[in-house]
Amino acid sequence: MAGTGHAPLRDDPNVLLTVTDLEVEFPVGRNAVVHAVSGISFDVAEGETLGIVGESGCGKSTVARSIIRLNEIKSGTVDYQGKDLASLEGEELRRIRPDLQMIFQDPISSLNPRRKIRDVISEGLAVWGNTKGSWSQDRIEELMMAVGIDPKFGDRRPHQFSGGQCQRIGIARALALDPKVLICDEPVSALDVSVQAQVLNILEDMKARYGLTLLFISHDLSVVKNVSDRIIVMYLGKVCEIGNADELYERPRHPYTRALLASIPEPAPTVDVSEGDIEGELPSPITPPTGCRFNTRCQHTTDICFTEEPVMQQVGDADQYVACHHPVEVAVSVNG
Amino acid sequence: MADPQLVVDDLHVRFPTTRGLVEAVNGVSFTLEKGQMLGIVGESGSGKSVTAKTLMNLLPRTAEVDGSITFEGQDVRDLAQRKQKHFWGVKMTMVFQDPMTSLNPVKKCGEQIAETLRYHMGDDNSTALEKAVDLLEQVGIPEPAKRVNQYPHELSGGLRQRVVIAMALACEPSLLIADEPTTAVDVTVQKRLLDLLDRLRQERGMSMVLITHDLGVARGRCDDVAVMYGGRLVERAPTEVLFSDSRHPYTEALLRTIPRIEQPSHTRLEPIEGRPPELINPPEQCAFAPRCRHAQAACLEGIPENSGLPGMREFACFYPSNTERGDEAMAANIAAGQTVTGLTIAQPAEGGS
Amino acid sequence: MSTTEASMADEALDEPEDDSAVKKTLGLAFWVAVGWIVTITLAAVLAPWLPIADPDEIANGAPRDGILGDNLMGTDALGRDVFARTVHGARISLGVGFLGIILGVTVGGALGIVAGYFKGIADQVISFMFFSLLSFPALVLALLITASIDRSFWTVAMTLGILGIAPIGRLARATTIQFSEREFVQAARVIGARNKRIIIRELLPNVVIPMGALTLLGMGISIVAEGSLAFLGLSVEGEAISWGKSIVDGSQTRDLEQNAHVAFVPIAAMFLTVLALNFAGDRVREYTDVRETAF
Repeated sequence: MAGTGHAPLRDDPNVLLTVTDLEVEFPVGRNAVVHAVSGISFDVAEGETLGIVGESGCGKSTVARSIIRLNEIKSGTVDYQGKDLASLEGEELRRIRPDLQMIFQDPISSLNPRRKIRDVISEGLAVWGNTKGSWSQDRIEELMMAVGIDPKFGDRRPHQFSGGQCQRIGIARALALDPKVLICDEPVSALDVSVQAQVLNILEDMKARYGLTLLFISHDLSVVKNVSDRIIVMYLGKVCEIGNADELYERPRHPYTRALLASIPEPAPTVDVSEGDIEGELPSPITPPTGCRFNTRCQHTTDICFTEEPVMQQVGDADQYVACHHPVEVAVSVNG
Repeated sequence: MADPQLVVDDLHVRFPTTRGLVEAVNGVSFTLEKGQMLGIVGESGSGKSVTAKTLMNLLPRTAEVDGSITFEGQDVRDLAQRKQKHFWGVKMTMVFQDPMTSLNPVKKCGEQIAETLRYHMGDDNSTALEKAVDLLEQVGIPEPAKRVNQYPHELSGGLRQRVVIAMALACEPSLLIADEPTTAVDVTVQKRLLDLLDRLRQERGMSMVLITHDLGVARGRCDDVAVMYGGRLVERAPTEVLFSDSRHPYTEALLRTIPRIEQPSHTRLEPIEGRPPELINPPEQCAFAPRCRHAQAACLEGIPENSGLPGMREFACFYPSNTERGDEAMAANIAAGQTVTGLTIAQPAEGGS
Repeated sequence: MSTTEASMADEALDEPEDDSAVKKTLGLAFWVAVGWIVTITLAAVLAPWLPIADPDEIANGAPRDGILGDNLMGTDALGRDVFARTVHGARISLGVGFLGIILGVTVGGALGIVAGYFKGIADQVISFMFFSLLSFPALVLALLITASIDRSFWTVAMTLGILGIAPIGRLARATTIQFSEREFVQAARVIGARNKRIIIRELLPNVVIPMGALTLLGMGISIVAEGSLAFLGLSVEGEAISWGKSIVDGSQTRDLEQNAHVAFVPIAAMFLTVLALNFAGDRVREYTDVRETAF
């Protein structure tokens, strides 16, 4: 039986990246595997910001890393401009790398402590042989200014900068190669609240300035809503729900999405606080539940939830898809 | 009104480092009533964790402490000097952020709880273990009799944190300090842990100090919220008052900078300009002035005193937000294009909390 | 100017933390140690041209003459000048020590980095090699090599080098694994750098630091190891002078009782040198550990 279905895949010429039936596993111990991502499909249109949200163990970071082949993919395709990133190898894979760049979670660990930041930022240009001439110097300076780091500090090393500044250096590094897609893996989770806004604003500005498409991974529901056009909610390696950011938060259909929105410290007004009382612990990803993976904790289960895996279906006329046997009916919102 | 349970008065904590003397806590004073839940909110470097550790006598020996801490009439610092063994962990206990470092990885969970009971309460082995099972049940751990024999790594993060809470409650404390107790866990687990702490607090009539960087957490759970910045306590008020009508520009700035779930997607966020304050040899001025849109000359000349009504609301600012004086100050700065500290400002975006 | 552009202009002016003023120094003792190492190395290199006695000249002075007699540090049983013999002995002792460790670091380091970076089969094979080398009794290995080849200077140096491969290699491997997991290495891969570039530009500058500290310590160990080999008669053959051999010469029972200086001068030289190397190695390790962590 196929995974969660291809319903959300759009037939749109603007689609830049299409992930189909992605499966990723990690070996653990002798015989067991962790089913990190178990058959998910989605696409990203050019110029869009797609947010992926979920709790630990849901597979969101694994999805991000798999797209750029930082982990190996068990099966599935990642279609980018006619090429399948999942099956490229060697030099072919390397050649496509400049198009898809990444921002990492830990700003300090993501910069080589022994290198000057100017070298860190220009590494991409150096790798692809473009450091000759003043053009590259100008580009480095332009990038540094764009992220708000004075170029005269280019000779300093990462430990001399704050967390927020390091993250901005990381953004400059990613942009040096003029990528089309920028994958942001929890880019503000390790930063202080007062610095987060700065980095998020810079990402928005860079997106507009350089015409980027963003894939934004985070566990923070408010942050994800703020930056995204569309959002995917994941649980234990599966997609629960996909939809437009505002719509999804206003009319969440999947019980897990609703539980998330009810659990945040200042719960979303669109759900009832009691929906956050999901019992039990996260099941083991080594032996995930059969049927719907959320069945061990959902308040609305029936027999079918334990035997048959739900397939993605469109909900209403909106660009919203749910994988659930009993998606919650939501009336048109009554925001007072 | 009864005397407050905890009185902290003009607390200063300093650490000598290779770069100089760090003023981690720089004149903090507050009180806590019995049964009250106080939230202390601040970012890294604000001094909130150091304050908690000072209350719990957990500072390194190089720390220099000044000021007084009085708990239920007892001078806590005097107790520390006399090396009191059965105060911390009994009357006043603490729950830390990372359950893996609070729990000994090579000892069973039940044993760790029982240890506390044997040491402080003088219980024998079997009584202590029985109580441990009971405590695990009280903190909502399923199958407590089985869990009592498990090692920390066999439990999930949320369950481990419950074990830590059980340990903290074993000797029936009057005050529980929770330092970022839910920062390391997922949001659904966080909700249940905070619900648990709420329930336990009410059942036992315990007071609590909840330290967090997450304003939302403080808002949902606390009676009063205090905001710390640069080692100082800059504002304290009952929760709803703080969130709807704050006085300190830093509180205001924090509220404007965090993305809110009600805001539509792509709402432009308002960053707080500038860098965190210098804690080594801090100048005699308002710590927030270099980043404050209201800043005027007076802000650079002295540290603002606490104004407002003690016990009702307090704030330390010369030109507070949501007051006429503060509004005028900001308007003057906008007209000039910058504040007295050289911070450039333009007309702020409309819309607030 | 929008608020954000203004804010970025302000940020751009912010000074990153300037820590040159508060740089942790290596300490006076470190420089004294380095001074000694440099002095003894120079003395060893320049020995033939220094204005000291001929170390091989028998009956340079009265046999078994004590310290501060006609000869600065006395003479040995054959009347040879002990001071001169010690200075010349440094040539071999330091030579095999340094060369040995260089062999160990280059071969061991390279293998360790390859094992740590590529993992998989390469790691299994190389780790097995290290494991085998470590399990083999060191002196038996030395015996085998010198018995089957010869006991020339180069062979002895090579022997000491081979003995150093495994410990250094394991450290290199562990450090490489630790750094390979850091996000900056993943970032380099995402940018499209090839493995060779990642190893040289990203890993090597980080791995070299702990290895450098271990290298200094390793030199000390090699020098002492040469002494042990001398006691087994496995040090450099013939009339070549080394500290180990001098110590053995001076350790005949009668000499130790009555003319202790013959053994103790080279012992002192070895002790001071190894102490200096250990201390320097340790200081380098401490100093660089601190620089690594940000804040």
